[in-house]
Amino acid sequence: MKSFSYAKVATAEEAAGLLKQRNTRLIAGGTDLLGLMKERLIEPDRLVDVNGIAQLRGITATKENFRVGALTTLAELAAHQATPLIIKEALADAATPQLRNMATVGGNLVQRNRCWYFRSAEHRCWLKGGPRCLAVDGDNRYHAIYGEGECRQVTPSDLAPALIALDATVVMRTDEGEDSLPLAQLYVAPTARHRREHAVGDDDLILAVRIGGDALRRHATYLKFMERATWQFAVVSVAASARLVEGRAQDVRIVAGAVANIPWRVKAAEDLLAGEKIDDARALAVAERFVRDARPLRDNAYKVAVLRELVRRAVLRLKD
Amino acid sequence: MPSARVVKNRTEFEGKIYEELALVQGADIPAWSADAELRHVGRSRLRVDGPQRVSGRARYTTDLMLPGMLHARVVRSPHPHARVIRVDAKRALALAGVRSVVDRTSAPELFDEEVHYVGAPVAVVVGETEEIAADAAHLVEIEYESLPFVVDLEEAIADRTRVQRKESYSRGDARRGFREADIVVDARYTTSTQLHNCLEPHGAVAQWDGERLTLWESTQAMFDVRKGVAKAIRARLDDVRVICDYMGGGFGSKLGHGHYSEIAAVLAKRLGRPIRCVMDRREENLVTGNRSATVQRVRVGATKDGKLTALEHVAWSGTGTEDGWVASTTGPSNGLYEVANVRSEQFLVLTNTGPFSAFRAPGYVEGTFALESAMDELADKLALDPLALRRKNYAKLDPQSGKHYSLKRLDQCYSRGAELAGWSRRKAGGTAGRHAYLRRGMGVSTQVWGGGGGPPAYATIHLNADGTAIVRAGLQDIGSGTKTAIAQIAAEELSLPLERVRLSIGETDAPYGPASGGSMTTASLGPAVRLAAVDVRRQLLEVAAGLMEVRASEIHLTDGHAVAGRGGKKLALDEVFSKLQNYTVIGRGSRHPNPEDVRLRSFGAHFAEVEVDIRTGAVRVLKIVAVHQIGRIVNPLNAKSQVEGGVTQALGYAVSEGRVLDRLSGHVMNANLEDYKIPTVKDVPDIVVEFVPDLDRRANNLGGIGLGEPPIIPTAAAIANAVANACGARVRTLPITPARVLEALRR
Amino acid sequence: MPEYRGPGPTPIKLDVNGESRLLLAEPRRTLLDALRYDLGLTGAKKVCDRGDCGACTVLVEGVAEYACLTLAVACECKHVETIEGGGADVEALQQAFLAHDAYQCGFCTPGQIMALAALLRRDGQAGEEQVKTAVAGNLCRCGAYPNIVTAGVAASRAKTSAKAK
Repeated sequence: MKSFSYAKVATAEEAAGLLKQRNTRLIAGGTDLLGLMKERLIEPDRLVDVNGIAQLRGITATKENFRVGALTTLAELAAHQATPLIIKEALADAATPQLRNMATVGGNLVQRNRCWYFRSAEHRCWLKGGPRCLAVDGDNRYHAIYGEGECRQVTPSDLAPALIALDATVVMRTDEGEDSLPLAQLYVAPTARHRREHAVGDDDLILAVRIGGDALRRHATYLKFMERATWQFAVVSVAASARLVEGRAQDVRIVAGAVANIPWRVKAAEDLLAGEKIDDARALAVAERFVRDARPLRDNAYKVAVLRELVRRAVLRLKD
Repeated sequence: MPSARVVKNRTEFEGKIYEELALVQGADIPAWSADAELRHVGRSRLRVDGPQRVSGRARYTTDLMLPGMLHARVVRSPHPHARVIRVDAKRALALAGVRSVVDRTSAPELFDEEVHYVGAPVAVVVGETEEIAADAAHLVEIEYESLPFVVDLEEAIADRTRVQRKESYSRGDARRGFREADIVVDARYTTSTQLHNCLEPHGAVAQWDGERLTLWESTQAMFDVRKGVAKAIRARLDDVRVICDYMGGGFGSKLGHGHYSEIAAVLAKRLGRPIRCVMDRREENLVTGNRSATVQRVRVGATKDGKLTALEHVAWSGTGTEDGWVASTTGPSNGLYEVANVRSEQFLVLTNTGPFSAFRAPGYVEGTFALESAMDELADKLALDPLALRRKNYAKLDPQSGKHYSLKRLDQCYSRGAELAGWSRRKAGGTAGRHAYLRRGMGVSTQVWGGGGGPPAYATIHLNADGTAIVRAGLQDIGSGTKTAIAQIAAEELSLPLERVRLSIGETDAPYGPASGGSMTTASLGPAVRLAAVDVRRQLLEVAAGLMEVRASEIHLTDGHAVAGRGGKKLALDEVFSKLQNYTVIGRGSRHPNPEDVRLRSFGAHFAEVEVDIRTGAVRVLKIVAVHQIGRIVNPLNAKSQVEGGVTQALGYAVSEGRVLDRLSGHVMNANLEDYKIPTVKDVPDIVVEFVPDLDRRANNLGGIGLGEPPIIPTAAAIANAVANACGARVRTLPITPARVLEALRR
Repeated sequence: MPEYRGPGPTPIKLDVNGESRLLLAEPRRTLLDALRYDLGLTGAKKVCDRGDCGACTVLVEGVAEYACLTLAVACECKHVETIEGGGADVEALQQAFLAHDAYQCGFCTPGQIMALAALLRRDGQAGEEQVKTAVAGNLCRCGAYPNIVTAGVAASRAKTSAKAK
């Protein structure tokens, strides 16, 4: 880890001011940032510690609105009584207890991906400015099974698919002031000009995440597949939600994590469920449709099978 | 003084038999009988060094902070094969706090011109702090000329120049045996490279006092470190003192000195300050050893009723850049079953990856997976119960030597294990789980291993005037509980409470002691300690006899008293001691050779129960039953822990661990504890441990042999066999990942 | 505007195990290195240095955290507890670890105990599942897990029965 200067700020304004400087990064939980710095993947000259900004902490919950400050830790979010069940499910197997105690909601949403070529300081992959994605001809057992882009990394967050399944919005402070947008829109597959997993700039500040009342009343569930019982980033994850009207599904969301550059939805699969009763045959059809367009790489065809099964099971669980 | 003599001894270490000369003193004594009333040996005792280990007070090598200590950081090759053209340290040396940068030109004894794997050392930077050394290491500019390389084992096997035949074995006529077979299984198995990932990293701290070097090192073999370092720096043995008080795991990877030991020793001398050279986690995964990946072909022939007629096992083991030795993967096939016709070959295969090293039962873990998987495939074909097939080919005599075993109770391991596992519930084709997509199955596998230990090993015991004893031995405790076992043995023979026996171990100024490896530490050193205690007792009785005015042969020690005859005169030992005052009673003991006419081996059987999700390929191991036979168990509490630990490491090997190499760059992609997945607390199944109570009284004067490695040997095959039983997916590659289960299900 | 400290050494005041400690270190110094190198508290171990293993677990404001992913400078004004600090929960766990042989080499042990100390403080009575979850981020290569779980449950039980009295 290269040496750096360090400042603590007490307000979002102070943070915004300092973050305008070149090669300056904000530190909140630090669990991803310090890992990147220890590998020398990023070498900021200055760190701005935002943990003292009181307004970014805490959870406010009403029947119509669930708002989580960006500095709320994953553990605090998981423990709150008003936190939707799907979020609790997503956090139960996210990282480890210590990491959940440290990591913040804001940081979780903008963490960098876990691709081992990206994480290796000695590999210059496409996302880090190299000529091509090294996973394509390399070991790609954990990589993307969807998407056309250059980069085959996958979204690591457990929280993001669950929040998107609840149509969460994110409140940000950018150069243009305070802005609110659907969380899903934060995630944009990297392009040659924007080699990043999301649209949040280094000087942007995430203030909070919000879930509206409609979504809070949906049936929703989160399933995660790992190769050991705990402490692994998702090999595949699925968040699903729906409103049940007289036993028929409405407002269906099925969001898969760890299968593409961004949290992945297949509209046609959701449509297959909309207005229908949930049963075994329907769940299987939805799952089949979800994976129909998957294009696995050499080593990760198994992820398609796992995804199909997770979608099927998640859809069935919406009944309960 | 007892007279010393030189004897010939055969010791089995890490699956190979070594014949060596050893110096012993006096005569051995018989093992305690089964009905001997023992107060310490055979009873569960808390670890004597427990309070240190649970409090953070235990000082491991990495915890040592000497005044003026500098930090060495190794600059490593990013190329799997290259020539080092030029090392430019100007920028590194300009950094404040950097004390030295050395490379091949300034320290030719430490570096080679050519590097043969990613992570091979090229230069060393020494700085005032860890951070400064790391900064400077980053500033060293190195020019390489890239050379061709191969990191993939299968690719290397195809290249004759990389393959060496190291061992071959045969008995009978395998060809004829296969002609006589009604059924032949011919299968190819592959296993992945397992990385030790001992939690305490490899490392050393060196400090010189004139010509005398003190080296603190995290090691399983202090005396081998001393020998290796002394040779490397051309020092006398008495000028090198190696210290290892507490040790944070080795599992075979710390059996000799490391490059870090030489770096610390050489640079500490040059710079006149103590130097610490400790590996980080990435280095642990690149350069400190591993269990060889293997490709194995096993052919088993049998008659219709399940009698083996021939067995052939050919193994290729990837040793990285290690071209000296290879682990005995074919050992289990050579020696486990009664089969007249056997042929095996063991090849070493060189690749441009970090050198392999011993890893808990090296070779036998890999080979048992193949052999015991093949046995189940054979049982399937014969429609025989897998346990029945194994019993049918049970070897009463050692098939290799024709000798009797000192003890063999494998049949009891099978029957007791089957009972504990509920083997009668096993059904061909598995059983149903809670959901239609969950299948349950059971599997069994067998363990054979050495671990009898042998000479040389020495100990002295000093009895103090207050009736406390100090056992002095060249022993390191790597976490296996040897220290506690040794204390129990001494306390037993001295009739002292355990807390009055202190151990002075962990450094090479003590009498020679064996490496903590090969499952042989207690079996080697324990008998010597017992003899030293007997020697103390003999002297003590002589003193007491003098004071009591009886003949020494007429009294015995009991409950802290010397007692003459039955119900005769009694003298408290404290009284004896008080008369002795500052005198020290010194007892000496040495390990005597193993019996020539029998083979010392341990046996065991593991039974696995698993649940397989046939849609996702996920395998959940529900239960492992482990029944082992090693003769006398000195400390049942620690022994059970030892077995649970071995099973857990085997579980990782079976289902989640495996080094991932990038074929194009030659890099290890999972050189960390995130992507290299060792089991967590939630992965561990219900582990049921039991030991066959019979003593191995021929083995040595303890009546038991070693347990360190046996529990890791059979588990993977038991799991693979259970998976096959559950759902028909025969996975012949380790680890058994969801991807591989799904692939096997498609076949 | 807030002021930057560093990149060179800066005085850092830490409250460790109830004592106020002053050290001079760069802002990049992790809490783990500060404990080990600057304060001589070597109970917390450096195993992965990446937040993957839990051997460096300490309590910050009573919560289990990885000291290797925490900056020392960010811990000013916070209460840090290490294995050396003892206290009723830590000592009860140490006794339980001894009694149930819940360690082999002992290198992960301080981290395991601190992770469980946080649990005991938070949830008086913890069953097997809570204990497992509490140490799910603490790897043990020797495989002492079954005994660690037993020890954690026993310590928790001892605490609740002591309270009941």
